[in-house]
Amino acid sequence: MDYLIFSFSLMLVYIGLAQLLHVQFGLLGIPNFGVVGFWGLGLYGTGVLYVSYSMPLIVAILLASLITAAVAYILSHLVLQRSGQAILAATLAFAAIVATLIITEKDITGGVQGLGTIGFPFADVASRNVIYFFLLMVVVVLLIWISAKLRDSRMGRSLIAIRDNEELAASLGKDTAGTKRGVFVLTCALMGLLGGLTAPLHQFLVPYLLAPSLTFAVWIALVLGGKGHNLGAMVGVFATFGLFDILIETYAPVPAEQAILLPNFKLFCYGVLLVMIIMFRPAGMLGVDGPRTRARPATTPAGDASVKEG
Amino acid sequence: MLLIDAIFIGLLEASPLILAAMGFTLIFYLNGFMNIAYAESITFGAYFAVLFNVVLGAHFYLSIVPSMLLSGCLSVAVYLAIFRPALNRGVGPTEMIILSVGVSFMLRYGLILVVGPENLFLNEPDITYLQFMGMGATNLQLVALALVFLGAGTLYWMIYNTGLGEQMRGLANNHDLAMASGINPHRTSVAIWFIAGCAGGLSGVFSGVFAQVTPYMGWNVILITMLVTIVAGVGSVRGAVVAAVVAGVLTAFITLVTKPLYAEVALLLAFIGVLTYRGARTA
Repeated sequence: MDYLIFSFSLMLVYIGLAQLLHVQFGLLGIPNFGVVGFWGLGLYGTGVLYVSYSMPLIVAILLASLITAAVAYILSHLVLQRSGQAILAATLAFAAIVATLIITEKDITGGVQGLGTIGFPFADVASRNVIYFFLLMVVVVLLIWISAKLRDSRMGRSLIAIRDNEELAASLGKDTAGTKRGVFVLTCALMGLLGGLTAPLHQFLVPYLLAPSLTFAVWIALVLGGKGHNLGAMVGVFATFGLFDILIETYAPVPAEQAILLPNFKLFCYGVLLVMIIMFRPAGMLGVDGPRTRARPATTPAGDASVKEG
Repeated sequence: MLLIDAIFIGLLEASPLILAAMGFTLIFYLNGFMNIAYAESITFGAYFAVLFNVVLGAHFYLSIVPSMLLSGCLSVAVYLAIFRPALNRGVGPTEMIILSVGVSFMLRYGLILVVGPENLFLNEPDITYLQFMGMGATNLQLVALALVFLGAGTLYWMIYNTGLGEQMRGLANNHDLAMASGINPHRTSVAIWFIAGCAGGLSGVFSGVFAQVTPYMGWNVILITMLVTIVAGVGSVRGAVVAAVVAGVLTAFITLVTKPLYAEVALLLAFIGVLTYRGARTA
């Protein structure tokens, strides 16, 4: 039962990360392939502050998110105005740097031996993991709600304008570089926050957690669910993590000798699913949901059409 | 002396990277997206070598060429089955990269499901250790170095001096104009994907024989390959060669001075730095 709660809590973290990626890539068009780097900074930042400096958990998490924001700010100055492929490679490299430094700086992070233990808050309550699960759920629901609000706001429309044609948006007087930087730093800081919130789930941190597979799992989930749909992240994580890691690994009757190959089979299926989706339904399972704008006084038909396209 | 050592070790270690970067660049140049699944060309090259060398018992040197060709065929098959239809549907460059991640997962974990996740070893030919002016290398390393330079030279000559290279550059720069002047895009693309796959396969055979053959070997070098290619500038095969050599020498130098892991970090930081200051010409 505890393991199931752990799995579901982890699934909420994945949904949160995919939702932030939806804002970064689906709305703003920044291909961030360094998700695990930002998440890992939050995770290890929280761990180090909590274990070595014995700060209260909530303070450690918030401080680690701030550190993540600062790093994201520096990175955004370096590469955010480059092309998409350059951003992709640079963020991937960033995540690799974080993962390597966690191993080399063993005086701070514990290196490959690991860092621990990080306990749940409200330690004297018996069902503290259930409470924590609901706490995570509140955070994730808030994230989904805020990104829906963001998409429907003026800000959201200017994000979409930047994604579709940055030069045009700039010529309309939008501060495209500043907006991109601001949203990128904020969403990366929130990835760090989710990382910090993951720390009590794992309790004991090892560098293996920072493998790039997390980034790809989140990307696959988002693309599968629908990168342009507000609920795409959630549906995508249900269809990947929920289906394979929870349902099949917990309930499918697999003989022991084949059980070792199960993770490989899972990743093979992810690959096949990803290829099928991009070939046959590139917008993802849910497609794209337009911003829900209030009915406006009718202008010209051409004007209406452009509003709908959003 | 340290510098000469670094250059020598760097060249030996960068030799598979040079080939991989050249092949990766070709596809990047021709089709305009970074093909992450290129990692599997490298991995499968090494596994084909295991098939010929270990399972069928051929001599290592004899198994190089067929593994290389098979890897090229695999690359063409993947192109025809997945990437060409996707390009025809107008999938954007970032989505193409995600698609290639999917293809990469499919091939890699498909391979693991078939042959198992264990690390494999190639039967090395007789190794003798040669010394020259205080620097040592095995005969295998020298053969590899010679073959890499032969392969890289041929590829270079092909791109800048033959009709195929000219057609490729034409297609990459202006697809419609190239078609209007009678270039068959289909044939040229198939040829380029085949050549790129062969280069990746050869690179995989050498990284496999220097260390071991694992399902993740291509995946482990794809990030460096990608960065080398981007820093070199889109489609500059010259740039890819230079950047791969520099990356190899730099890694060797930093490894000699400090820990190998710091070399990796320094290299990645250097790449981000170059990306930042290179301006519009990068990717």
